[in-house]
Amino acid sequence: MKPLDPRLLGYARAARAFLAAGALIGLAQTACIVGFAWFLSQVIVRAIDGQGLHELAPLIAALAGVVAARALLLWIAEVTSTRGAARVKSQLRSRVLSAVTRLGPGWMAERNATSVATVTGPGLDALDTYFSRYLPQLILTAIATPVVVLVIFLQDWPSALGVVLTLPIIPVFMVLIGWATQTVQKKQWRLLNSLSTGFLDVVGGLATLTLFGRAARQAERIRSVTEQYRVQTMKVLRVSFLSGFVLELVSSLAVAVVAVSVGLRLIDGSLGLSVGLFVLLLAPEAFLPLRQVGTQFHAAADGVAAADDVFEILDAESSAASATAVDATPDRPSAGALVLTGFGAAYGDRPVIGPLDAEFPEGSFTAITGPSGVGKSTLVAALLGFVGHTGVVALGGREIEVGATGLDWISWCGQRSGLLAGSVFENVTLGSRSPDRALAARALAVAAADEIDLDRMLGVAGAGLSGGQAQRVSIARAVYRALERHSSVLVLDEPSSALDELSEARLVEGLRALRESTTLTLVVVTHREAVARAADSILALEPAAMAA
Amino acid sequence: MRTTEILRLAQPGARRFAPGALLGLLSALCAVGLLATSAYLITRAAEMPPILYLNMAIVGVRAFALGRAGFRYAERLASHDAAFRTLATLRVGIYERLVPIAPDGLTGTRRGDLLTRLTADVDELQNLPLRVVQPLLVSGAVAATSVITVWILLPPAGLALLIALVLAALVGTAANGLIAARAERSIAPLRGAFADEVLDTVVNLDVLTAFDATGSRLAAVERADARLTRAVLSSAAGTGVATGILSVLAGAASIAALLVGIPALGTAGFDGPVLAIIALVPIAVFEVISSVPLALSALRQVRSSAERIGSAVPEIVPPEIPTDRAADARRTVDPANAVIELRGVSASWPHESSPAIREIDLTVSPGDRILVTGPSGSGKTTLAHVLVRFLEFEGSYRLGGVDARSLPLAEVRRTIGLSEQTPYLFDESIRQNLLFARDDASDDELIAVLERVGLSEWLDQRGGLDARVGERGSLVSGGQAQRIALARALLADFPILVLDEPTANVDPGRADALLRDLLSASADPDGRRAVVIISHLPVPAELITARLRLG
Repeated sequence: MKPLDPRLLGYARAARAFLAAGALIGLAQTACIVGFAWFLSQVIVRAIDGQGLHELAPLIAALAGVVAARALLLWIAEVTSTRGAARVKSQLRSRVLSAVTRLGPGWMAERNATSVATVTGPGLDALDTYFSRYLPQLILTAIATPVVVLVIFLQDWPSALGVVLTLPIIPVFMVLIGWATQTVQKKQWRLLNSLSTGFLDVVGGLATLTLFGRAARQAERIRSVTEQYRVQTMKVLRVSFLSGFVLELVSSLAVAVVAVSVGLRLIDGSLGLSVGLFVLLLAPEAFLPLRQVGTQFHAAADGVAAADDVFEILDAESSAASATAVDATPDRPSAGALVLTGFGAAYGDRPVIGPLDAEFPEGSFTAITGPSGVGKSTLVAALLGFVGHTGVVALGGREIEVGATGLDWISWCGQRSGLLAGSVFENVTLGSRSPDRALAARALAVAAADEIDLDRMLGVAGAGLSGGQAQRVSIARAVYRALERHSSVLVLDEPSSALDELSEARLVEGLRALRESTTLTLVVVTHREAVARAADSILALEPAAMAA
Repeated sequence: MRTTEILRLAQPGARRFAPGALLGLLSALCAVGLLATSAYLITRAAEMPPILYLNMAIVGVRAFALGRAGFRYAERLASHDAAFRTLATLRVGIYERLVPIAPDGLTGTRRGDLLTRLTADVDELQNLPLRVVQPLLVSGAVAATSVITVWILLPPAGLALLIALVLAALVGTAANGLIAARAERSIAPLRGAFADEVLDTVVNLDVLTAFDATGSRLAAVERADARLTRAVLSSAAGTGVATGILSVLAGAASIAALLVGIPALGTAGFDGPVLAIIALVPIAVFEVISSVPLALSALRQVRSSAERIGSAVPEIVPPEIPTDRAADARRTVDPANAVIELRGVSASWPHESSPAIREIDLTVSPGDRILVTGPSGSGKTTLAHVLVRFLEFEGSYRLGGVDARSLPLAEVRRTIGLSEQTPYLFDESIRQNLLFARDDASDDELIAVLERVGLSEWLDQRGGLDARVGERGSLVSGGQAQRIALARALLADFPILVLDEPTANVDPGRADALLRDLLSASADPDGRRAVVIISHLPVPAELITARLRLG
């Protein structure tokens, strides 16, 4: 792990300000460390020499001043580091989210959406510890350790030598022990992983185990899995705890060495007490920031790993051609028949589905059928510009540049309902510049969803609605858009897959009525006979004909 | 379950806990001792006594230095070992409470992630001994020892240290209680809202793009981010104040020792080296007790985990969950005569006011194939759960001619099998996922049953019975999971089989074929097995003998 990834500075400008502020605070904190040790040792030494409280008052006041400054700096450090972490996270997040929207649904289709959401959302929270704890300590180490060693050197070079000789032992051993831990972990990674999920597996499958009458005898299995987990984990811990051991051992031994060597030189009078006490107080401070970096190391490594996932997305975006950008043009799409010529879906230059020629007359209702896996949804995605395409798409005799002409000419409802948190009304009018209640109610009626209240609030992913209700609301959303923007084409992908026969029949009725009252060209991908029967014509896709 | 009962399960017994705590105390005392002895050594040496007088101090400094690191290493091993050993007891203890009420008696069980969260919470409880009890005990003991030592050397200095430590404890607890608790109240929901916004945006990217709504969506995410950031910053300012005050108290303890120590110099037995000790000991003590705020915040997390477990696991079995109390343990059902008769059966879920099904009549005789349909929410799954006695019922439910309540739950479930809507696959090999249904089945029988449910090609692709199905079945599609679940049920050879929405998580184009396959595979050679299939999809009429419409 690199202590500081340069990409972090490149992608998040706030990180630079954060580092600069951290350096200033670190410098001031170092001054406090040295000042505290100096004034404290001076007060003690002079008191032993016989000075009273009255004479020492200025020194004690200075000591109190240093204590106050130290506390103030701690407060400032806490606030700036939290603010810095929040800023950097916000900048990274907004960059990565806009990168994701620019990369588009085609890019997303090849990934696990939940894991992308975790990377861009809560995943980045792992950077909190990195920024608010690890980096400030790292900066402090970079400033305080050399300064403290230098001060010790100027006061008493043999003590400085002791510190300088022991300091490098720490990183060397940390690296060695890190390697050893990884080796031990790698050797039993598989075993540890399956042991750690063993309990979850039994509890998660409890209903299934009960059904098969196996629940009661799992207690013994939990016990033995947990016991094995303990034995295996302790093997790893025995090695990984060594790094903490080395840190503590080296730093406390260094203090002991300095104390004894200073003590012996005090006895033969080659050193003054004031220098000795000062050096003794400073010696542990040379190690303290380093020890704290060590304790934050693992949390920081998680943060860096989270940042890596983000950089992957940002790098993908900057290397992707900007051709996927969609710019809406004010040019209204013409009405008329939708004609596809040599049309197919392509990833890059590689055609995967098609080509196919088809004509959908204005105001017609066409059902597209075909076995699962033949690529119906991919064709729709190509029509929307989510994946690349071959061939020509023409509307009313004019060629449409898919993906670059804006999407007003086509409205679409996919297989997933894709509802958002918010009211039903907000969902139905998604993307509308001036939401219209009457139109939304009409759209719900078309989608056989008029029993659903427009003001009903939905949770994340439309929570609160049943699968069938969510599907009908999402159809209404596409219908609303088609009506509001006067789209020429409405594409519905498996609109009745979650509906029972009754609702399906009502939906078909609604679609028929919609066709009577508008010039919309309806294209419905479906497996259901009831829907296909209602269409004017059926475009059956065959695997053989579709093979590229 | 009560929170205290859960916490008691999580805390190792005294004998198991003591070694780690003792070693931790020794290590902390060594840290204080190291600084005190070093200060003493140096100030005494400045008086230039014969070196012989200093030998003890020199040995002490070295011993404390070694002891601090050595004891700490041993302590971490001992306390982790103890925590892991307790984890086994804890997991089994919670599991045994879950068994009689699972799955429907767990509060909130209809939300999917309940069990995952529950196990995460159980494992979080490990932190109680490790990060809460031990640091608090060690800090308290070190603080007390230091106060007593300093008190003996110079009573007013001991008193000053005591006051500083008490104030620190008060500030630490108050800061934790007020600031952190407030932050948790305000920040946790904001964090959740923000994560939801991001999830909604990313998951629905295709919809947002198709509806030109990405811009307004990103703006909504930024607003949620800004709200969260404001809350985090205000809580950080509070935490910063608490850290600052603790640091002031540490410094004040040293200064107070100087203020009372300097005038006392030269009085009976109080000389320079002792002054150095009482001025420096506070520095080391405050370093040790700096773990207290962390321990308190760990306590809050542990406690909320325990509360979540407590609220998920009811203290008494709810009346909606069947028990074996009224059952006659010797009673069995003759598989040849396994007939279900429901007359006016109603059932409710725990904590829900209205019944999910009302007055259902249903007869299932050997060889029947009954389709249960109805809109979502009409109680199809409820009916399935009543049949396998996951849920209690009102009315009359007779199985094989006797009241179902008089049969042991295990006997009902030996007679009626349920293939769940989302079958659970264990993170094990294919073989293990089948064997628990009948543990004496041979490999040939397993292969045969997989062939029967249409999975022989899949088995070959995976490379045989030893292939793993992935964590929570992640390497298996929805349709394959249903087929595996049916294979399990076939192995167990239930006279009656209930299939709950087998096509719920299946690609619409494959649903019809799957329904046909499942129904034909579930027939036994003599056609005696009865099947109840719950489906929102139309099922070809020739595959069923009767239908029941709910809702």
